[in-house]
Amino acid sequence: MQRGPSGLRGWVIPVLALVLWELWSHAGTFPIDTLSRPSDIAVAGARGFIDGSIPLATWQTVQAALYGLAVAAVLGILFGVILGLSPRLEGVVGPSIDALRPVPSVALIPLALLMFGFGLQMEASVVAFACLWPILLVTIAAVHGVEPRLLDVARVLQMSFAARMFKVILPAALGRINVGLRIAVSISLIVAVTVEIVLNPRGLGYSMIGAQQSLRPDLVYAQLLWLGLLGWGLNAALNKAVSMWPGGVQSYEDVQP
Amino acid sequence: MRILRSQWLWALLFAAGLLLVWQVLADQKWISPVFFPSPSRTGAELVRQVAEGQIWAPLGATLQRMFFGWALASLLGVVVGAAIGSSRTARDYLGPLLEFVRPLPASAVIPAAILFLGLSNEMAIAVIAFGAVWPVLLSSAHGFVAIESKLREVAAALCLSRMQLIVKIAIPGALPDILAGARVSLAIALILAVVTEMQASQPGLGQNILLAQRSLRSPELYAGIVSLGIMGFVVNRALLAVERRLLRWRVAPA
Amino acid sequence: MRTSPEGVASSLGGNPPAESVSAVSVRRLCVSFASAAGSHLVLSDISFDVRDGQFLCVVGPSGCGKTTLLRLLAGLLAPSAGEILFRGQPVRGPSRDRAIVFQDYTKALLPWRTVAGNIALSLEACGIAEPDRGERVGALIEKMGLQRSAHQFPGQLSGGMQQRVQIARCLAQQPTLLLMDEPFGALDAMTRQTLQDEVARLATEQRTTVVFITHDLEEAIYLGDRVIALGAGRIAETIDVEIARPRNQLETREDPRFLAHRHRLFGLLQEH
Repeated sequence: MQRGPSGLRGWVIPVLALVLWELWSHAGTFPIDTLSRPSDIAVAGARGFIDGSIPLATWQTVQAALYGLAVAAVLGILFGVILGLSPRLEGVVGPSIDALRPVPSVALIPLALLMFGFGLQMEASVVAFACLWPILLVTIAAVHGVEPRLLDVARVLQMSFAARMFKVILPAALGRINVGLRIAVSISLIVAVTVEIVLNPRGLGYSMIGAQQSLRPDLVYAQLLWLGLLGWGLNAALNKAVSMWPGGVQSYEDVQP
Repeated sequence: MRILRSQWLWALLFAAGLLLVWQVLADQKWISPVFFPSPSRTGAELVRQVAEGQIWAPLGATLQRMFFGWALASLLGVVVGAAIGSSRTARDYLGPLLEFVRPLPASAVIPAAILFLGLSNEMAIAVIAFGAVWPVLLSSAHGFVAIESKLREVAAALCLSRMQLIVKIAIPGALPDILAGARVSLAIALILAVVTEMQASQPGLGQNILLAQRSLRSPELYAGIVSLGIMGFVVNRALLAVERRLLRWRVAPA
Repeated sequence: MRTSPEGVASSLGGNPPAESVSAVSVRRLCVSFASAAGSHLVLSDISFDVRDGQFLCVVGPSGCGKTTLLRLLAGLLAPSAGEILFRGQPVRGPSRDRAIVFQDYTKALLPWRTVAGNIALSLEACGIAEPDRGERVGALIEKMGLQRSAHQFPGQLSGGMQQRVQIARCLAQQPTLLLMDEPFGALDAMTRQTLQDEVARLATEQRTTVVFITHDLEEAIYLGDRVIALGAGRIAETIDVEIARPRNQLETREDPRFLAHRHRLFGLLQEH
């Protein structure tokens, strides 16, 4: 992150826009129903935090995201390693995976609703479906990238499958698996919010729809801003975490499906 | 995914095997026919929808929404991406703002969009464009930044004007990146088209699936999911074909 | 880049080269680059003249500043001190009548345009429209022997062919001065020899002034009317090659004058 003139420049447009927005909002022509005063938004946001509604909604969203992510990670890494180690198996199962992949995860929302009803499980299952693919594919690629000599060493030492998995393969592949996990983390948050917006009555998404329906634009924008901060903070934290990991891969150009 | 030609037969058998198991389980009622209709019922439903022509209207609606949103996003993405990629000043002023807006889930913008545009097709297209713009914007920016410096020198030696530089060198040079980003944008546009349909009760495949769920008509639900999957696959392939044609000058590095 | 109004008088058309007019004049040229380790003097106190229609070769080991000199002549770089005059006018930026053939042809050709398209780029830059443009492209393709590859992409061509395309593109500019930066360095020996003869022939036919950079001593003597040897940023020696044209790969290289020059320069370059 650059300091100095170029760092400050990035603030110019947002600050200017904010000031103009606030000034305009005190004029008669301001569409108070659809936009809101920045000051009102700030107040609504503060209130939401103080009375606990925003933290609660946030937790609900994060909970579903984490739940789905965990399921996807376990399944994705497990099957990713298995398929990665066996090109034969990968060739047989591959096309079926390729057939399932293009299905948009959101299309499964009604199916999940059918199976689980409203609530945490339904949301987590859609998140899990969406996050499974990046993790699976990246893990397969990562396992392919493991130095074959290491695998030979494991075989010569006659290590059990579990030992091979946890002592050799996973640590060697973890650097690249990280990339898939990062993608999946961003996806998990997005999908969770999406499910809430469409129909699940919990979390930040539902809270925003509620605010829109009760004609509280200030609350809508306050939560939108909060969500943006969350997403940005999450990205920044992930970037920091990856940069501290030895051998972590920064870009995902070569593992994009 | 590395798949040898000889393995295609096995792969097909594997997939067929999965379907067969599912079919048997459903017929024997070991799994609930409400939640897991057998492949035969799903297939029959799909065939019926195609034969009776019911599928084309919602398919067309979803496609149209997706394309308009994607086209808008691509145009915006290339223009802004080009500006950011080629101008230090633009990068400084717009960069941090874009970095903040980008991680925002596009669907989260829906409530705000409804405030402005109501539950309408316009709202859907606006949301789709918002969500789909990022991949093509980022890859365009990258494409413009990464223009071979030698080509810039060639342009300088030939005394090309700024406009000539942009049209003859910058844009063709950035095209591979732009097209790659456009493909990802298209996938996002499809997802958002479905989301906005479900949200705003707009006619389309997404809404069909939702309605099927409400009336517990699961073969229709599954048929709808399958249709969406097929549509996503076909559209992606079509774009890949266009990309290959436009970029046929690319040779594998020796 | 500031462009300057340059005389665009082309030497095509048979004007006999005037002995007293220099196409290029370099006076007390100095170039230094700032780096983390301090200021680094690349060229110091370089002065020479190039006559109209003359073929000048600049030879020297890697890092002696040859490429820098060429970029200065092209106007892509400004000197730290001294001046460069082109037809009496100071050089202030690139210009279309000083064409430059880059060493790395893979990066200097537009990969998305065919051979014909790449050659056309120069003509488009000069503002020449169809049908003129098409005719000229056709003529250049003939001249450089690119008929069979006219509609192929650079990625499909061998190194030698790609370099021919670059040369064709430069010739399309109808330049008064042709600058060549080790153009045959990356090619195999046979292709190199073929292209050497072609360039020599073209230069004689068009009476173009050429400044040719190379690290290959024999190539420099074979091609040049005059050879300047650079060492550590200074001119170590200037040699006039009086062997008549057209020259021949076999006979010229065994000519006693050739061998004498070679001995002389070999010793000089070894010292640096």
